[in-house]
Amino acid sequence: MKTARLLLALPGLAALAWGALLFADYAFPLRPDVFGTAAWIVGAPVVNDALIAPVTAITGLALSRIVPAAWKTPVIAGTVATAVLAILAFPLLWRTYGTPPEPGLHDGNPALGLALTVAVVWLLVALTGFFRAHRPAPRQCPSHHA
Amino acid sequence: MLIPKEEQFKAAAHSERVTSKIGLALAVTFTVCFLTGLISHLIQHPPSWFFWPSRPVGLYRVTQGLHVISGIASIPLLLAKLWSVYPKLFGRPLVRSLPHALERLSILVLSGSAFFELSTGLLNVAQNYPWNFYFPQVHYAVAWLAIGSILVHIAVKLPVVRRALTRTAEAEPPSAGLSRRGFLRTTWLTAGVAVVATAGATVPLLRNVSGLSWRTNKGTQGLPVNRTAAAAGVLRADAGWRLTVDTRTFSLAELRQLPQTTAELPIACVEGWSQSAVWRGVSLPTLLKTVGSKPGTALRVSSLERSGLYGVSVLPGEHTADDLTLLALELNGEVLDLDHGFPCRIIAPNRPGVLQTKWVTKLETL
Repeated sequence: MKTARLLLALPGLAALAWGALLFADYAFPLRPDVFGTAAWIVGAPVVNDALIAPVTAITGLALSRIVPAAWKTPVIAGTVATAVLAILAFPLLWRTYGTPPEPGLHDGNPALGLALTVAVVWLLVALTGFFRAHRPAPRQCPSHHA
Repeated sequence: MLIPKEEQFKAAAHSERVTSKIGLALAVTFTVCFLTGLISHLIQHPPSWFFWPSRPVGLYRVTQGLHVISGIASIPLLLAKLWSVYPKLFGRPLVRSLPHALERLSILVLSGSAFFELSTGLLNVAQNYPWNFYFPQVHYAVAWLAIGSILVHIAVKLPVVRRALTRTAEAEPPSAGLSRRGFLRTTWLTAGVAVVATAGATVPLLRNVSGLSWRTNKGTQGLPVNRTAAAAGVLRADAGWRLTVDTRTFSLAELRQLPQTTAELPIACVEGWSQSAVWRGVSLPTLLKTVGSKPGTALRVSSLERSGLYGVSVLPGEHTADDLTLLALELNGEVLDLDHGFPCRIIAPNRPGVLQTKWVTKLETL
């Protein structure tokens, strides 16, 4: 165990040092845009902890209270998948800083693509929920006691 | 404001076992992403010791496809992992000791660099640049910070991971939300949905399935264009155009009279999309022999494109010795479109698209 931990930690520290050198190569001499990059690196975990995680908590809590037991897991899974699909679609839909479309690239219809993908996800949610709700001998879920 | 306490988080998602399983999956996707990214970096900035073969022809297509797919899969995995350990944010006291302080700091570096890599990568494949830095440089530097902090983090947490995964699972306390298994299944399913929704950019089978792929089938001559002639400021070459190979010059008609080779080769972009096409033109070994040079000599390739970073590339000897490396004049049975590099372009097996120089005007042996 000790050897394994050392074999992970030493190359890890070396990679960190090399990354810091490469980053310093970019960052020095300091310019205003470097602070923007640093804010991006530090800001992302802050956004996650202050925004994404609380929203996850509240949504999860709300869904698990509102949705009937048999439907709970598929509906929560569908909601999570929808949120991730929205994240993936975001750079394709928000083009303020995007390049103009080139032939065969970014010239599709991401809004339609997102809508169809989300529709398929929720169709699967509906099917799964339906079968779970109409199972011949419904297994008692631990959550029934909650 | 009401701040929750660590012990108030009762959902099964916060168990050690869940954290460890998602952590392991994330370790795999980040390692794949890092190594494939490193390969791409080394091909584009080769140090003297580096060697990249010209076969199999689609190897780079696979490595770079994996780079983007593993990055996409990491997005839901990272969010699930951070949600799993979210209660630790509220652990008190904030700092227990110096090692504890260092550990918390290392986790900030870890999640900051991981988020940075995934968010900039995702924006870059969509060619969306809400920043002022040069993407390859900073994405590459922060990749080392990410993989380094992941390795250190695993080293620190290894006893916890072993404990969580070897001990038989203790009975799950009842909770209102997802069960442990439900949370894990949701995580794997979401990662799968994310991959299926995007991987059509490089996986032919998913081409018409992936609704959020950043490439379509509307490309000129059946192939996407990353940089049009208009964007590159290149005008259609006229009859006076000549290709210079060292001291020799060739008109387009003369190039067409040389023996022609047909090859099916993929264009594999650093942005992860790829597509196979049928190319026809003069193979580099043939061209080099015609001008009295030896196949296997490295070549500097210059484009009519004057602006931009990709007007000049170096073709290593490994590729100039390969009969499938072409100075292509035709694409999918037609004369090369101006957007694909008319009058001629380099198309070599197993290379990133940015190095497949278009609108070639000069070749110099090195």
